[in-house]
Amino acid sequence: MSTVFDLQAKIKELLPDLDCVIGWKQGYDPLHATPHFMRTEADVDSFIFNPLCVHNPATYLPSLKGKKVGIVVKGCDSRSVIELLQENLINRDDVVIFGLPCSGVVDISKINSAIEKKGLNPGRIESVEADDKTVRIAIDGQKIELAVADVAAPKCTVCRYHNAIESDHFFGDPLPATVENDEYADVAAIESMALADRFAMWNKEMERCIRCYACRNACPMCVCRDHCVAQSRDPHWLTQEDAISEKLFFQMIHAFHLAGRCTECGECQRACPVNIPILTFKRKINKELKELFDYTAGVDLEAKPPLLAFKVEEDNINERGW
Amino acid sequence: MSVLEGKELRIVGFLCNWCSYGGADTAGVGRMSQPTDLRIIRLPCSGRINPLFIVKTLLSGADGVLVSGCHPRDCHYAEGNFYARRRLEVLKRFLPIVGIEPARFEYTWVSASEGQRWQKVVSTFTDQIHGLGKAPRLTPSAEALAAASAL
Amino acid sequence: MVMSGYLKQEDLAAWIDAISADHEVLAPQAQGNSVVFAPYVKGASLVFDRDATTSPKRSVFPQSEPLMNYTYKKDPEDLGKVDLELVEAPAPKPTVVVGSRPCGARGFLAFDRVYYGKTVTDVPYLRHRQNTAFITMACSEPETTCFCHWVGSGPDDAEGSDVLLTPVAGGYFAKAVTEKGEALLAKATVSSDAGKEDEAKAVVQKCKDALGESPDLSTAPARLLERFDDMTFWEAMASKCISCGACTYLCPTCYCFTITDEICGSGGSRIRSWDNCMSFQFTLEASGHNPRPTKAHRLKNRVGHKFSYYPTIHDGNISCCGCGRCIKSCPVSVDIREIVLSAMEPSQEAAND
Repeated sequence: MSTVFDLQAKIKELLPDLDCVIGWKQGYDPLHATPHFMRTEADVDSFIFNPLCVHNPATYLPSLKGKKVGIVVKGCDSRSVIELLQENLINRDDVVIFGLPCSGVVDISKINSAIEKKGLNPGRIESVEADDKTVRIAIDGQKIELAVADVAAPKCTVCRYHNAIESDHFFGDPLPATVENDEYADVAAIESMALADRFAMWNKEMERCIRCYACRNACPMCVCRDHCVAQSRDPHWLTQEDAISEKLFFQMIHAFHLAGRCTECGECQRACPVNIPILTFKRKINKELKELFDYTAGVDLEAKPPLLAFKVEEDNINERGW
Repeated sequence: MSVLEGKELRIVGFLCNWCSYGGADTAGVGRMSQPTDLRIIRLPCSGRINPLFIVKTLLSGADGVLVSGCHPRDCHYAEGNFYARRRLEVLKRFLPIVGIEPARFEYTWVSASEGQRWQKVVSTFTDQIHGLGKAPRLTPSAEALAAASAL
Repeated sequence: MVMSGYLKQEDLAAWIDAISADHEVLAPQAQGNSVVFAPYVKGASLVFDRDATTSPKRSVFPQSEPLMNYTYKKDPEDLGKVDLELVEAPAPKPTVVVGSRPCGARGFLAFDRVYYGKTVTDVPYLRHRQNTAFITMACSEPETTCFCHWVGSGPDDAEGSDVLLTPVAGGYFAKAVTEKGEALLAKATVSSDAGKEDEAKAVVQKCKDALGESPDLSTAPARLLERFDDMTFWEAMASKCISCGACTYLCPTCYCFTITDEICGSGGSRIRSWDNCMSFQFTLEASGHNPRPTKAHRLKNRVGHKFSYYPTIHDGNISCCGCGRCIKSCPVSVDIREIVLSAMEPSQEAAND
């Protein structure tokens, strides 16, 4: 893995001028990577990059504004960085971007399901080897081999940006795009259901929400942070009741606050401890924004988010004439 | 109990102060008959309407929400309704994914002089909501209810 | 009365049905890719082969519950006069939690010392507590996030449980632990089978062996206190924390709550709901001052509370049951074990002295 080696060498070279560099290392077990804040050369040695590096390090950038930091990004992560730059939430001069090509990351819950299907307990992982194509897992004395493509995070199956779009230092060979256009098949699948069934589905899905707001805090674009309407008593948008309407309302708030800003990194859904498919809401809005304004968030530093702009004569809004 | 109990549905209107609220007034002064389901909330401008007002209204039990502002190019604040138009259009397209009938929410433009147009808008929208009936509510799942009623 | 015996797999459902006739039953059920404690209805398929994603906390300590409801009533004779009508929340229903792990049931011991202790009796808590029984499933294999043995527990710890089931071939070895448990077990079809008891012991022993050695945490309370002002340490530990509430809300021992009035029109409820020390609002004062302004301060509190402040006032008992949910469900894999162990290492200042 000369790519990682080159990257580590570059980080070590630049580290003295930086507060820290954010990347990944192995977490509490071999299947789980964890965000890694590198401050010393020894920290850099434990840096890893493979399909288990699911986290979006851009989430940490707004809270580090004003400090000089380095960040290692995949294609999707770089879109979040671009969106943050677009909105002046971070300064370009303060961030050193180390870009990587990425052929896809895993969805841990899919790996867990695959392990459970074999009658094994995913909590008993012994060792894992992961490369671009394959994840090899040793568990309870047995070996399981999974193709990354089969357990890929949903965002990776429709990814058009495998390489970091914006970077100061790029490592490895850029990968060609594998998908021409995102067809929003997941959104279409829900839209093929009757309205009443969709309503019933969300009713059921939201019931188990514990209102931990991991979805919000994992989101790189959720920048209200400590001043979120979800917890504000004045204005009092949400009550503390354990009610489905409150939980669903929060998800709708979240989706709407991200309209034209969401880069679909999928952290909201990945972070959800009870696996509620909430990325769907944001994807639905992005699908409509694409249709209405031909806009994709986080790919162009100069672009203006569509809900912060208007045209006197809109091209695609059909105003009802009654 | 009101004689209209059971016959009326809950419809909430968000109207801009300068055009549509005036239009509704004109309709009233002109004694044009209108359905009585609509409850109006007056705002300074359609650009003041946070889409979340509408979502909150719908999730809190309204059967329909109507937004009306000044015609494009006529905004008292020059461009408030241009921003509103984009937000409201995105909201209208977003609602179906949650399972909310998009026809429960409409936005339109009525000027202060258009009393007759206001009458038509209210009548048409009220008919539309009556056609859809009461909106479904979010409730604890059948399992949770069954467990609670078993006791 | 049967104190213990062998419960066949095929008789389990009938037993739970019998209990659910006069109790609300909460049992682990698959929803999406998660397993949550949800109300049991006849025929529901239950998940016992892995620990639930959520803890059984809501059985005794609901995510949110009304303490009372109230209505303002105008006096028609004197419109200036407004009366307040109060309605106390209804008494909780008798509840049985089926299929939590020993750690989950044991979590309430941490609550008991606080809400039903020497100085305070929390009535709403007590009403739930006395109304709830636990039929617990002993563990046959630990996960990478399990550390119950660190905090003085183990895979067959019956403390806090009323009935303990241990999975054996063809079913479970069931043992009543309390009087409540005896009454519940009396509803089951169990047979006496001495061989099964030995088999259960072997299952648990295997699990204990797999857990391995535990570190000695006896110096943790003092060491964490010494680290209190070492913000460099806490900032390093908290770097990757995103300050959400997944850890606290999934934790069987996190007992903090907030009370709010939710008013609509002339009526409202005073409700108590889970609070979360990872949140900025948790210690935000009315003046605008916040004694825990950063996530490093807040994570320090979470770890310090569980492994230092609580044991100091509660006879050395650690306010953590070692279930590992905070590690497993953390979106960024913050590992509380790693933090405690790092805090116990000799600090930089000490080395310089």
